[in-house]
Amino acid sequence: MELVSPGLGLIFWMTLAFGIVLLVLRKYAWRPILNTIREREMYISKSLRDAQHIQRELAALEMVKETKLKEAEKLRLELLAQARNEADDIIRLARQKASADVTQMMEDAKRAVEAQRKSVINEIRGQIALLSIDMAEKVLEGELKNKKASADLVNQLLDKVILN
Amino acid sequence: MLLRCGESLIFRCFRKIIVLVFSGVLMLSATNASAAGGGHDEDGKFNAGDVIIGHILDSYDWHIMDIGSTPVSIPLPVLLMYEGRFYFFLSSRFHHGHIAYKGFGIAREGPKKGRIVKVLDEELTPDPQASFLLDLSITKNVFSVFISGFLICVIFISVGRRYQRGGSQEVPRGLQSFLEPIILFVRDEIALSAIGEKHHQRFLPYLLTLFFFIFFNNLLGLVPFFPGGANVTGNISVTLVLALFTFFTTQLFSTKGYWTHIFNTPGVPVWLKLPLPLMPIIEIVGVFIKPFVLMVRLFANITAGHMIILGFVSLIFVLGSVASVMGFVISPLSLVFLVFMNFIELLVAFLQAYVFTLFSALFFGMAVPEEHHH
Repeated sequence: MELVSPGLGLIFWMTLAFGIVLLVLRKYAWRPILNTIREREMYISKSLRDAQHIQRELAALEMVKETKLKEAEKLRLELLAQARNEADDIIRLARQKASADVTQMMEDAKRAVEAQRKSVINEIRGQIALLSIDMAEKVLEGELKNKKASADLVNQLLDKVILN
Repeated sequence: MLLRCGESLIFRCFRKIIVLVFSGVLMLSATNASAAGGGHDEDGKFNAGDVIIGHILDSYDWHIMDIGSTPVSIPLPVLLMYEGRFYFFLSSRFHHGHIAYKGFGIAREGPKKGRIVKVLDEELTPDPQASFLLDLSITKNVFSVFISGFLICVIFISVGRRYQRGGSQEVPRGLQSFLEPIILFVRDEIALSAIGEKHHQRFLPYLLTLFFFIFFNNLLGLVPFFPGGANVTGNISVTLVLALFTFFTTQLFSTKGYWTHIFNTPGVPVWLKLPLPLMPIIEIVGVFIKPFVLMVRLFANITAGHMIILGFVSLIFVLGSVASVMGFVISPLSLVFLVFMNFIELLVAFLQAYVFTLFSALFFGMAVPEEHHH
């Protein structure tokens, strides 16, 4: 019978001990433990939410980046084409200017050559005249009596030569 | 830093206890083995029933072992109140129940067998005219409750401090990480599922204390030597107190819905309530049966476990007293069963703590019903 008949003393002490343990643990153990666990769970779920949010934002940013990149690519091509056109223009103009210059220079050179040729011809004519006079003087000195008639004859002959 | 000191102090104490216990075990094995348990008839024969009942019941001293035929035990304080006077002395005054002290003795026979009664003479004859004797002695079970209560407080306060210090962003370490899954189990699988999201937090401290108190005492009961070994959760007084705590908590927090459910159970035909209030009577009886069942279930399970384990131990000595060869032959088999039973009891220790806590939570859930659809 003793096995199943409760004892008053044990009931008293057990109530006291369990009650004290309950109160002590409630204040010094369960409250901090449960609070911390709850805080941690909230922190974790908040972090997960944040992570998802950030992921979404990143995806959006990625899209923006893509469009910006495409725009930049387009702009680049446009700029390139424009630059190429400008370069072509510059080259064409330069070519035109260069050819004009060359023509001008050629003409100048031609003119200079012409002038030179003329002066050279004149000089040569003078020289030839002198030479001819000298030659005629020497030839005629001994052979011709009429010095003046000989000179005229030579001059006439030379005119014919130059005109030919 | 202080906490760390406290922890190392506890560990040192544990080590000392373990060393003490093992030296005790060695001494025990050195003595005559058949003397163990002290359950002997007058003619010196081993009596398994006495051994088992002696281990399961509460006692005024903490019996550790017998050396030869001399019992070695820790005397515990006896506190009595009789006719307005207090009596306070150590239980060693009774000489293991052989003599009386100040007119009190431990009854050998009758309905109060094993308890302190007012006696008439040195023969320990109970006084039939004795008035009420209030016995508040620190018995083996009371002492064991103190030890386990202290242990639980130390463990969980240190863990609680670590939580407080670490905050919500620190990873649990050591004991903390071992206990956290169990705490979460009690919270999520017991409190939350049985009581519901809205009210469960109010009952959590009680449910956690209840669970760990039962669990720790169940485990301590399985340790065969000094700080353990007492049959605390297998004592009807202890389970009665726990059941009463659950009972009063249920009634204390009960809402209108709870009493409506008892007196005017929804979803039940009217002829079961009027003119004969059959359902209300059943429900009211149920209010008292619920804690009673809690009390009996835990008591019976743990006591039965202790009995089976002690039975296997006793088997060796029972057969050994018939012929020592039989004792030797049966001991390995007995040992195998003992190990097996101890594993089962480890499971039972957890299971019964779980069941008691779960049913308490279910009763609380009934006391604070959430809006449901009938």
